[in-house]
Amino acid sequence: MRTERFRRACVALVSLSLLSLGMQAPAVAGVIGTSEAIAAAQDDGPRAVVEATLARDDVRAKFVELGVDAAVVESRLAALTESELQTLADQIGEAPAGGDFLAVVGVVFVVLIILELTGVIDIFKKA
Amino acid sequence: MKRSAPAVAALAVALTGCAASPPLAEGLSRDALRSIELSATPFYPQEEYQCGPAALATLLRASGVDVAPEGIAPEVFIPGRRGSLQVELIGATRRHGRLPYVLSATADEMVAELAAGRPVLVLQNLGAESLPVWHYAVLIGYDAGRNVAILRTGRTERQEVHWQRFAKTWHRGGRFAFTTLVPGEVPPHAEASRYVEAAAGLESAGEHRSAAAAYDAAITRWPNESRAWLGRGNVAYAEGDRNAAADAYLRAILLAPEDAAARNNLAQLLADAGCADEARNQVDRATRLAEGTGLAPAVAETRATIKSMGKPATGCALGDRAWPD
Repeated sequence: MRTERFRRACVALVSLSLLSLGMQAPAVAGVIGTSEAIAAAQDDGPRAVVEATLARDDVRAKFVELGVDAAVVESRLAALTESELQTLADQIGEAPAGGDFLAVVGVVFVVLIILELTGVIDIFKKA
Repeated sequence: MKRSAPAVAALAVALTGCAASPPLAEGLSRDALRSIELSATPFYPQEEYQCGPAALATLLRASGVDVAPEGIAPEVFIPGRRGSLQVELIGATRRHGRLPYVLSATADEMVAELAAGRPVLVLQNLGAESLPVWHYAVLIGYDAGRNVAILRTGRTERQEVHWQRFAKTWHRGGRFAFTTLVPGEVPPHAEASRYVEAAAGLESAGEHRSAAAAYDAAITRWPNESRAWLGRGNVAYAEGDRNAAADAYLRAILLAPEDAAARNNLAQLLADAGCADEARNQVDRATRLAEGTGLAPAVAETRATIKSMGKPATGCALGDRAWPD
C-alpha cells in the first residue's frame, strides 16, 4: 500500500517535471525549427505551419476527452513535431492504438475462433 | 439469418488479407545472419491493454535507459482508446533521450537492426483488416533454418512464430517498426533524410543535447546534408553558442543557398548579436526565398521584429565573417 502510494507520488512528480520541461520546449522566437523547415518543404503550402497551433489545440482537447490526465497532456504534446501533431489531429479517433482491444460478441466470436483455428488470424495466440 | 451477414463479411475480408509472403530464407540478403536471438533483451509481461508501454520499456531498457512500463504508461496510454498510438511511442522515446528511428517497410532493416544488437518494436494487427486487433510486440530474433520469428509479446517471454505468419500480421499493421538509437549511433543502412528528420524530432522535443549528438553524427556521415547543419545551428542557438550557430548556418546556406529557413535563422542570430545591418540583409533575402511557401508567415514575423529594432548600442559580436549574398 505504502509502496503503491509512493509509486504514485513518483509518477506525479515525474509528470510535473516533464510538464515544466515541455513549457520551455516550444521553438525559440524567430528561429524556424528543423522539423518545421522539413514539413514546409514537403507540404509546399502554408498549411502545415499555419495549422500547427490549431492541431495542438485540437489534439489537446481530444486527449482530455479520451481520458488522458490533463497534467501530462502538455508534456506529451511537446514531444511531437508539428507534422506529427497534424497527423494526430486528423486521425486520433481511428489511428491504430496498439492495445489488444477487441469488442465483439456472439456469432462474430465464433467466426473468429474458426479463423484462428484455420490460421487466418492470430488474436488468441499471444497470451 | 440476418446475423450471418457481418460474419461472412469478416471472413471474406480476412481471407483477402492473406497475401502470400516468402519464407524468411528466401528474403534474406546473402550477407545477413542465418539466425540471431538477442536473448539478453529484458521482458515485461504486459498489463491489460498495456502492450505499448511494455514494448517501449523493453526497447528503452535494452538501450540503457532505466525505465519500467509503469513509468511509461502515463506518457503514452490513452484510456478512451484502450491503447497507445505510434506517434506517442515515438514522442516518449525522445523524452527518454533516445532517437526513434522508423524503419523502412521491408524486413531487411529489421534484420540489420537485430544484427546491430537492437531489438525492434513492431505494430501487428492480429485480427482481420475490418476487425483489427492492434498489438505491439518486440522482435528479438529469427531463425531462417526453422523459418521462425522470435518475439517478446504480451505475457509470453519468448514466442516463436512462423515467419510468414509474423510477416502477415506486421503487414496488416501497416509495416510499422522502429528501434531506439543512442544519439550518435547511425545504423549502416540509415538514409540521410530519414535520420535527420528523426534528429529534428529530438530538437523540437527540446532534447538539445541528444539532438546535438545526433546532428554531429549525421554531419560526420553526410557532410553535405544541409538540414543536418541547419539543425546543428538551431541546437547551438538554443544553447546560447552564437559562434557555433553562425558557422553551422553559414554551412547550411553554402550547401543550400535557396533554403529560407537557414537564412531566417541566421538573420535572427545576427539581430541577437547586434549585427543589425547584416540581419536586415539576410531577412530580406529570406523573405524572397520564402515567398509562396509554408515558411512565409514565420519569416514575415522575423522580418517585422528585425525592422523594428533600434540601432544596437554595441557592435556586431559575430566578428568578420563573410556573410552570404
